[in-house]
Amino acid sequence: MRMRRWWVVWLLLIILAGCKPPGAEPLDADVSIEPWPPQVRKSLITVHVPEELDVVELKVVGDMTHAGMIPVHGEGERQGGGTWLVRDFDINMRGDWILTITAKDREGKTYEKEVRFTVR
Amino acid sequence: MRARIDLLRWPLIGPFLRWRYSRFVLQLPLLLLAVLAIYDGFVGRQLAPKNLSTVSVWLHYRGLLVLAIAVAGNLFCSACPLMLTRGLTERLRRFVPQFTWPMRLRNKYLVIAITLVYLFAYEYFDLWASPWLTAWLMVGYFGAALLIDAFFPRGTFCKYVCPLGNFNFTLSTVSPTQISARERQVCLDCEGHYCVNGRVDTPEGPRPLAFHAQAEGERYPGCETQLYAPQIESNFDCTLCFNCVRACPYDNVSWEVRSPAREWAGVRYRADYVWLGVLLFFAGFMNAFAMIPAYYALAERASELLRTRNEALLLGLAFVVWVGLGLGLTVFVAHWASRLAGIAEGGFAAVRRWGSAFFPLSFAMWAGHYAYHFLTGWASIVPVTQQALGNLGLPVGEPNWQLAALVPENLLYPLQVFILYLGLMGSAYAAFARARSVGRGTAALPVFLYITVLVVLTLWVLAQPMEMRGTLLDPGSQPGGLK
Ligand code: SF4
Ligand code: SF4
Ligand SMILES: [Cu+2]
Repeated sequence: MRMRRWWVVWLLLIILAGCKPPGAEPLDADVSIEPWPPQVRKSLITVHVPEELDVVELKVVGDMTHAGMIPVHGEGERQGGGTWLVRDFDINMRGDWILTITAKDREGKTYEKEVRFTVR
Repeated sequence: MRARIDLLRWPLIGPFLRWRYSRFVLQLPLLLLAVLAIYDGFVGRQLAPKNLSTVSVWLHYRGLLVLAIAVAGNLFCSACPLMLTRGLTERLRRFVPQFTWPMRLRNKYLVIAITLVYLFAYEYFDLWASPWLTAWLMVGYFGAALLIDAFFPRGTFCKYVCPLGNFNFTLSTVSPTQISARERQVCLDCEGHYCVNGRVDTPEGPRPLAFHAQAEGERYPGCETQLYAPQIESNFDCTLCFNCVRACPYDNVSWEVRSPAREWAGVRYRADYVWLGVLLFFAGFMNAFAMIPAYYALAERASELLRTRNEALLLGLAFVVWVGLGLGLTVFVAHWASRLAGIAEGGFAAVRRWGSAFFPLSFAMWAGHYAYHFLTGWASIVPVTQQALGNLGLPVGEPNWQLAALVPENLLYPLQVFILYLGLMGSAYAAFARARSVGRGTAALPVFLYITVLVVLTLWVLAQPMEMRGTLLDPGSQPGGLK
């Protein structure tokens, strides 16, 4: 009896798994960090996005690869020509980092890119 | 007689634990969490701080586990959702042949081997960094519990295989509670020893379940890890399942508040238990050491010296050298202490005599490190669960990731130091009490010196800035843009 109930739970989960919210489109961007190689300090992140995308907002989130680490958030400043700057991005610990760059265009459509680097 | 506090006599706690479904009630939330975590680990975003599988396993499970052991007991075994596979194993048992667990494996050496393999895998595959692998680890655990307990007697998995359970057993030697018998005389007069044999209430009265497996009547299983309540003097092997409490028809089992010091000072553990305790200290040290820059610098040096960039080889070497060195030195020190006490015995017998001094320290080692990770990120369980439920399509709102930081960073190191000093004091007490009991208090000095040095080393490691890197050797950074 109890086993059958677990099957129902399992089935429900599988069905629900189909209802994932739509994800973001991939973003074709160039990302660089200054200084390079990256160090534990406030850094400058430069992102070049294709101009035809008409990006109006750009955010950068830095996560480490260990659970419990607090993400670092940065807002992009528009420079023209598809270039965005994130100043004083606080790289606060040594180790593996994952930057998630999220860009939003005028219609509210989001694009995302993920880059990884290691701070020693 | 000692004045005893029996938690089973307390309102709410007592009646609840006596209730036959109490364990199920404790297990259910953990099972649901595990299912959600496995789901998130497989389909959620592969980002350790933002995935429920990595956050729940590597932060909360480990952090709350040591906390529960310190303030109450091995509650995570009580609530272990792995044992919910019971219903399924019972069903499977009808179709698969039954075996007895081999005599040669009825000790902790298999557990020690599995623990070493697991810790190696933890570092080599960076389990902490991968939600997907963490989810697989959980699935593997459920599968192993299911299989082992289907082919072998109940409790085999907990006692002889499960590295987590045995980790809990070892650390719960510092717990302030323990299962015990209330009146020895009642046990002496007891005809069925139901606490270990289980009980079946037949129309003719209670019968030990182990010998009347086919009898009709309400059944109360006994201790699956074969502990006999009136003889228990340590928390080793106790999963706090409270089967014994429910099985005893004389209500003679207590869950008493105790001083763990009595156990460290007096119990003569089996050698395999002591080896597990000593190993956990050195493994815990390695686990913390592998997170600081000095470790990576050392790895670079070793790589140059040996002319290899093979990570598995270097990591394996680090394990063998460090754990081997630790165990070897421990034999040497224990042997020295025994000689000072005027006892002629071999190194291994000496480790058995003095090794229990490591238990408080092993606890402090893991507790200090886990406390760091847990306290820095404990609140992140909220947005992570929100996100996992959100992925399931439930309306739970926007997760707030800034919730992650709630405990001031500068309090963490003092707390770790405090935990380690407590561990050192416990260990020193154990060593001196054991030395006094053989009539030569000064015999504990080598052990005392040894653990002091180890604690200083540990403090040095914990004082270093943490580095959370997946690659042992410098991955190198490409100039210019990031891809
Ligand atoms: S604890 Fe209860 S069941 Fe066990 S030996 Fe004592 S009286 Fe018997
Ligand atoms: S039955 Fe055995 S494992 Fe369960 S609480 Fe009693 S002594 Fe501990
Ligand atoms: Cu750490």
